[in-house]
Amino acid sequence: MMFSGKQTKPTFKSYLPPLQTDLKKSPQLPIKKLEAKLLPGEIIVNEANFVRKCIGSESQDDLWGKLVCTNFKVSFISHNSLPRKRFQCTHRLLGEHDIPLACVEQVVTVNDLKGKQKILGSNQKLKFNPTELILYCKDFRIIRFRFDEAGPESAKKVCLAIAHYSHPADPQLLFGFEYVGKRYHGSTGDRVNGVDPGGGMQTPLFDCSSDWDREIKRTGASEWRVCTINQGYFISPSLPEFFVVPVSLADQDLKQYACFFYSQRIPLWCWNHPSGSALVRMSNISDPQQQRKVEQRISSAITKSHPLRSDVFKSDLDKNLPNIQDIQAALLKLRQICVIDPFEESEEKWLSSLESSRWMEYVRTFLRHAVEVVYMLESRNVPVILLENEDRDLSCVISCLVQLMCDPHCRSLHGFQGLIQKEWVMAGHRFLDRCNHLKKNDKEESPLFLLFLDCVWQLWNQYPAAFEFTEVYLAVLGDSMWVPIFSTFLFNCPRQRAENSRDFASSKSIHLGQDQALRFPPVWDWSQQFSLKDQTLFNNPLYVGKIATCVQNGTVKTFTHRRSKKNYSSTLRGLPSALRNGSLGPNDTLARRNSLVLRLRSDLSQVREQQETPSERFIRDYFSHPVDLQGLLLPQLLPSHLSVWKLYFLRWVPEAQIPQGGPITAFHKLSVLTDEIEMLQSQLRQYKGAGSTPNNLHAEHSKMYFKVTSTPHQTPSPPEYLSSSFPFSPVGNLCRPGILGTPLSKFLNGAKIWLSTETLANETF
Amino acid sequence: MASAPIAPYNSSPLGNSSSPNASRESLKMEPLADVAMLPGEERVIDKDIIYICPFNAAVKGKVFITNYRLYFKNTDSETPVTLDVPLGVISRVEKMGGASSRGENSYGLEIICKDMRNLRFALKQEGHSRRDIFEIIFKYAFPLSHGMQLFAFLSQEKYEENGWNVYEPMEEYRRQVLPNSEWRVTFINKNYELCDTYPTILVVPFKATDEDLRRVAAFRSRCRIPVLSWFHKENHAVITRCSQPLVGMSGKRNKDDERYLDLIREANGTTKLTIYDARPNVNAVANKATGGGYEGDDAYQNAELVFLDIHNIHVMRESLKKLKDIVYPNVEESHWLSSLESTHWLEHIKLVLSGAIQVADKVSSGSSVVVHCSDGWDRTAQLTSLAMLMLDSYYRTLRGFQVLLEKEWISFGHKFASRIGHGDKNHADQDRSPIFLQFIDCVWQMTKQFPTAFEFNERLLVVILDHLYSCRFGTFLYNCESARDSNNVRGKTVSLWAFVNSDTSLYINPFYTPESSRVLYPVASMRHLELWVTYYIRWNPRILHQSPVEQRYKELLALRDQYLKKLEELQLSDSTHLTNSSTPNTATPNQHITHLQTPF
Repeated sequence: MMFSGKQTKPTFKSYLPPLQTDLKKSPQLPIKKLEAKLLPGEIIVNEANFVRKCIGSESQDDLWGKLVCTNFKVSFISHNSLPRKRFQCTHRLLGEHDIPLACVEQVVTVNDLKGKQKILGSNQKLKFNPTELILYCKDFRIIRFRFDEAGPESAKKVCLAIAHYSHPADPQLLFGFEYVGKRYHGSTGDRVNGVDPGGGMQTPLFDCSSDWDREIKRTGASEWRVCTINQGYFISPSLPEFFVVPVSLADQDLKQYACFFYSQRIPLWCWNHPSGSALVRMSNISDPQQQRKVEQRISSAITKSHPLRSDVFKSDLDKNLPNIQDIQAALLKLRQICVIDPFEESEEKWLSSLESSRWMEYVRTFLRHAVEVVYMLESRNVPVILLENEDRDLSCVISCLVQLMCDPHCRSLHGFQGLIQKEWVMAGHRFLDRCNHLKKNDKEESPLFLLFLDCVWQLWNQYPAAFEFTEVYLAVLGDSMWVPIFSTFLFNCPRQRAENSRDFASSKSIHLGQDQALRFPPVWDWSQQFSLKDQTLFNNPLYVGKIATCVQNGTVKTFTHRRSKKNYSSTLRGLPSALRNGSLGPNDTLARRNSLVLRLRSDLSQVREQQETPSERFIRDYFSHPVDLQGLLLPQLLPSHLSVWKLYFLRWVPEAQIPQGGPITAFHKLSVLTDEIEMLQSQLRQYKGAGSTPNNLHAEHSKMYFKVTSTPHQTPSPPEYLSSSFPFSPVGNLCRPGILGTPLSKFLNGAKIWLSTETLANETF
Repeated sequence: MASAPIAPYNSSPLGNSSSPNASRESLKMEPLADVAMLPGEERVIDKDIIYICPFNAAVKGKVFITNYRLYFKNTDSETPVTLDVPLGVISRVEKMGGASSRGENSYGLEIICKDMRNLRFALKQEGHSRRDIFEIIFKYAFPLSHGMQLFAFLSQEKYEENGWNVYEPMEEYRRQVLPNSEWRVTFINKNYELCDTYPTILVVPFKATDEDLRRVAAFRSRCRIPVLSWFHKENHAVITRCSQPLVGMSGKRNKDDERYLDLIREANGTTKLTIYDARPNVNAVANKATGGGYEGDDAYQNAELVFLDIHNIHVMRESLKKLKDIVYPNVEESHWLSSLESTHWLEHIKLVLSGAIQVADKVSSGSSVVVHCSDGWDRTAQLTSLAMLMLDSYYRTLRGFQVLLEKEWISFGHKFASRIGHGDKNHADQDRSPIFLQFIDCVWQMTKQFPTAFEFNERLLVVILDHLYSCRFGTFLYNCESARDSNNVRGKTVSLWAFVNSDTSLYINPFYTPESSRVLYPVASMRHLELWVTYYIRWNPRILHQSPVEQRYKELLALRDQYLKKLEELQLSDSTHLTNSSTPNTATPNQHITHLQTPF
């Protein structure tokens, strides 16, 4: 064999005669064993047999099976497997064809004989028997089922059930409650019913004062303290029980100020720049008469906590950034052009359609705004207040981005997860409303978190070696919003979680014991969803922090993760020039500009000389030096340098898939090399004494998904199943109307290509 | 220096050194300000001048003109601002401002370059200072318009390898298992008598006699008959290339041409020969008016004709001009995507790529194809060479890519001299067009989609484009082989490949994984095509120049090698300590060492 290099072992399957394709067509397959796999607390609501799941455009590729609606998911169980399914990342909570109800955006029933179509909500009636069900999903998938052979009544019932159960009337009807509640019955011990309290991780959840204390220490924010006045949520309903305030503000003052802020949200400390400048988020002050006074008090307290007593700079986010409805509208348009519009027809206008969706523009606006804030902290060395009406949306994005750019700790996996806990979950981002889990109020729905992930992706894409995680991690994190069992994404604020879980516990007579709330697993407990092996897809082989090297004059220096404290100082540049009342003085805009240029501008009108603002100069200076990946990271902001996050937005689009191509192929090589380095390191350690670690331990502990092969002298070629969509697959996940009429061979073009070359090559032997 | 670990092609975007190697050439050279001059390079004039940088400010300094380059170095500040521009890059020099112009710096020169940038200089108004420098630049940038020689003929550079030997036609045809029972090599064109824009060695159907070829030549525009470009070793399907048939308004037919195409079809038993006419259908029809045309259905019954809708050289020139408008000096920020769309640059890239995909797909399915446009030296070269790049992994190696360019572009007469206008002052010449740049862009798109499939990196593509204009090497000079022969280019100039192959490590893609039999099908969709910002927007100082992933991978490779070395040392000392013992502890790492000698 000239291709594989390794011997193909006979498998059990190879002894079986190949499946006849018409066999697939017939619905006469044994159906008795088709049973949905259920999680604890999951119950079957309705089901229909002899359902066809559309895979490609031709019905011969469709799968036959049973469509089941539970209180958690839409499940499709089939004896057939998909063609060319050589790789699959298995989800522990969801089967290959399962869709969580929370992921269903729209339920559309069709009767193509009568030419009827209806979008179903909860508690609705359907006057026709559906021949087809189309599920539009929040993660951009479009799934189709056909009922040609199914009983008309059972088809109708299952559609109505799906519609009804995907519109829960109350948060406690979200599956997470049953799931977690079930686990309280009949189990004891530390690991409460399989749910590890802290997720078994080093990720701080910031739901206790010690996490905040550590964060204060880590960032050297000695002039700040943990405030506990909101314990029991007695002051503010949307703030966490613990948060951080300037030491100069006494609890008594805070209680007094609280009433002036929206939802009694006392301004929250986010983070300290190594120079001592704090990043603070604050909601608007409702009473205009008190506004000045309160603002002044807060500002001066922040100034007092600054080592140089610098004045505070206020950054008004509502004024400078798009609002949540704008962002939602942008995503809908983006979805339209990515997965709904027919592929070929939308090619010609792709770029302008992309522009008119405004998604990329918003990504850029948020990144740019974050850079402006970084400039104030980094270059001007002043504390910054992020000002937003309710302080629960835009601030989450900006404060996270600022910290990601400035603080290398946030680019580690646990640092990043802690950051999201701190700035989204604890700060009270309304995940329940923004995800629209209850599908109650479409106006409240907004993909802020996805926008944030896209911004992070842009940074990642420009500096892939600076992050411990991969883009697969970011995509999977985004998808986890639609698996409604995680504490992370289920609630609008910590208090809502506490109240709902207390209510639920008492209604189900669950004894919470010492817990204040049901222990929903945080999404950071990744073992809930993926095996350890699959989780290695999150590890970035390029990450500097792990095996940092620096090649100089042919010698290699290795250093372990440096202390971030030390790195901090390296990002410090110069001393601040004080600001007056937070606005830039006239000198600043023109500082150090050659007077000659000013004259030139009038004379040489053709030269498109633009006024360079100080922050633009800051950016230009930054790009004129080599970037320290463990230091400050500023994104390239030119629109020409921002890209569409293809892995997320185009992963289901069959025509956009590059078979055996895409960035993943380079990642594969990197992963193998990093794995080899890890193995060599462990062998070297063996030599250096410390007892004998058996070699096979390496394979188990390897952090890399793709491992070094033991075959000598063979550069590993990318596995055939790799594609630009990896580890996702378009097969069966995007059945838009436009794809009908396209032969499956085109749909699976990778498979076809490989078939032809392999057969050709075999002929020569 | 400070930028050591980054090593961009142009460390200072203000002053690109298009010859990154200049400083390491072994020959002794007189320094020019702070760069070494090339052997054969001579100073012509120095002058105090102000460089009006579009990105920051006016910079006072000195300009040095040699017979090869324009070099500028600032004198007004510590931070160096330099420009290193081969004169060949200059498309046009204009005076700006007149004697009556008021204000400082309103009097000077504007230099428009072929590589997506413009340069402005201001001079003092007194004492004819501008006239001198204008005339010198004008003369040395356009030597052919002044009865002088291109720098490539003056250069005394020496390299170990003779780059002209990279491509030996017979060797390349033998690699393709040619000649064989279906295809033969003919020397009918050894004196360029059959076709003066073709190479001397041609591969034609075995059954076609030289007499047949002469008769076919009469029916093909500029006698560019269908000849073989590439042969599929397994299914024996071929890519052949030619110019349009001379059908004309009256719809002329030619039995010999018809029979000849049928011989191509018959060679491997293809049932229907596919003729890819690169042009839009209407253009092909319009060409009838000037005596050209396309293969009609009734005349060529065993062939099917497919139009690929690729536009002509004028459309491409205008498209690139629009692209330059939105990227230089500043990137159009407010409506970037729709502005980019309105240049149609990526759309043209898409059409060229998807045309090549169709050709490659046809051939790999076992059918032979004929590719032509009007003359068969622009779009045809793009399509055949891209299809070959998809089909044949040899062309994806550093050497193979050089062979591909030498073969499909240089030897088959892509009119480099006319398209680029080397040394010619006539900047508005309608023959100029960025066809080759567009091809290199397509290659770049492929390398982006298949990051492990190419042995060479992006840097090679940029260096090729820089020297497409520089006139330092003979590689891209003249329109065809016959002209190169009569000017003794091989004897009198150095090949670009001599320079490139003198330090190949710069151009190696560390992710390269050889895969001999894989056909690459890029996705020619706007979803994946990207603007090649590191080329088109490289002069912008707000852009970061680095390839972090590639760099990082190299660092990891070095680390791996270091560990391997350490382990070997430890084993050596082990084996001296315990000579005969066969403890499993030491045996296990031993095995692994032998396994891990991966070929790097």
